[in-house]
Amino acid sequence: MNMQNTAYDTTAAQPVTEQETLLKVRNLQMDFGGLKAIQDVSMDLRAGIVTTLVGPNGAGKTTLFNMITGHLKPTAGEVEWLGDSLLGKPPWKIARQGIARTFQDLRLFTHMTVEENILTVMEQGGWLWQSGGMSAKTARQERVASILERTGLKDKARVRAIDLAYAERKFLCMARIMATDSRLWLLDEPASGLDPNSYGLFLELLRSEVANGITVCIIEHNLDIVVNISDRIAFLDQGRLLADGLPDEILNNPELAAIYFGER
Amino acid sequence: MTAYILNLVVLISIYAILSTTLNFIIGYAGIFSLAHAVFFGIGAYTSAFVAMNLTPSFFVAIPIAMVLAALTSLALALPALRVRGEYFVAASLGLQMLAVTLFSEWKGFTGGIGGVIGIPPVEIFGFALVKPWHFLILTLVCLALVIAIIQRLVHTSFGRSLKSIRDSESAALAAGKNITVIKTLSVVLSSSLTALAGGLYAFYMAFINVESFMLATSVLVMAMVIIGGTGTILGPIVGAALLMLLPGALSYLSFLPQTEIGSIQQIIYGSAMVLLMIYRPGGIVSPKTRGEAA
Repeated sequence: MNMQNTAYDTTAAQPVTEQETLLKVRNLQMDFGGLKAIQDVSMDLRAGIVTTLVGPNGAGKTTLFNMITGHLKPTAGEVEWLGDSLLGKPPWKIARQGIARTFQDLRLFTHMTVEENILTVMEQGGWLWQSGGMSAKTARQERVASILERTGLKDKARVRAIDLAYAERKFLCMARIMATDSRLWLLDEPASGLDPNSYGLFLELLRSEVANGITVCIIEHNLDIVVNISDRIAFLDQGRLLADGLPDEILNNPELAAIYFGER
Repeated sequence: MTAYILNLVVLISIYAILSTTLNFIIGYAGIFSLAHAVFFGIGAYTSAFVAMNLTPSFFVAIPIAMVLAALTSLALALPALRVRGEYFVAASLGLQMLAVTLFSEWKGFTGGIGGVIGIPPVEIFGFALVKPWHFLILTLVCLALVIAIIQRLVHTSFGRSLKSIRDSESAALAAGKNITVIKTLSVVLSSSLTALAGGLYAFYMAFINVESFMLATSVLVMAMVIIGGTGTILGPIVGAALLMLLPGALSYLSFLPQTEIGSIQQIIYGSAMVLLMIYRPGGIVSPKTRGEAA
């Protein structure tokens, strides 16, 4: 198997080593009883690029996201965001520091409208009101309208999330993450199950956000997406980071391909 | 007959306040509490105590009762809401049990098992509400106020945060929401408004005892919310009206053995809950229509 992609522009990955490191993961370990879900994983996520996590099912990709975002407490190791440790911080504090995520099983606010799903992400104040008064409220509403337009959900603004079609739900996940002010997006299989039209729109959307300075780490099984958008690829298997490098190095490695397709 | 209907409407209104405030946390925040009768009781006993020892003024007795209920709920919510939902149910059940013992034993405040008798009529700007229709107006105004407050809250950013937590706690956390603060605030608000119902009940009945604030009352109010429809404004009111009218309606059915009315009532409650769970899980008033927002 050759995972090489002719559409991939290798020049995009050249300045990677010079990018600022946003997130550092060092010697991370996660044990669930006797199961070692993550073992001694160290990697960096650098600003302004797309890093893709690949690996077979059960490799520990989502577990890694859960540990970075505070949903799971690592057994050992360190997670640093712009030099500060994230360990022990609750997920909402980590989110407010600039790390947003989506979930593989979407976790939409199902009984709220599409518009409310987006708006509530912008309303992080826990009290009975939001700071900023009417001008901030108007700004939020304008931003919601812009996100609805860009994600193709404008006509569904008043529809409950539970009543959306699957592809629309996927775009609502993207709309919600766009509503955050985060610098780093952790996307868990955001394009799985999308039809070709929606897939095209998704790639366009992601590229434009990356061009605007968003850093993305994405878990993806679809190799077409992997080769089309990745600046770096990290390969995980059975909780271990087997490789972390430029797409060409990873995608043309026959040993990794054999592991990915379950041939060894 | 008029007095009977007036009495029924006043009691329905008081229970509608209870079910509306419980629905605020069940229907919009996904927090199931079995201690609603505790805050009802705190409201009733505190209002009675203030009325008998300080002043029967509505604007003094009720706010004190609401503050005390809010503080008690804070003591329950802060530790219990840090953990998953089912633990809050267990903690609220514990509080309910503890409160019943306290209500029964703390003679200086609650009158013990015998309760508090001779609660003076409530006064509004020095005017004593002694006639039933006076009280009817007061309870209807209070019910309207509670509905307006909750209706307003659920359509604000706070209401959206509550609904997001109800639908997916982990996604709300990932969106940067401090869910402990938001859930605690919702329980405090709900409990303080529940104390308003307690105060109204104490002033209306002029006599209260622990019987009205036991686990059975918490379960009855929860049944009102579930049968009426969670997460809706009208549902809990419909539920309160139905369950309050049921005992009276059954007594008109002459073919039923009057000594067994209590048991028949329980059978009807149980059957209604089972049938609703099967055919209309959202309750009688539920937003089932495709595309309709909750």
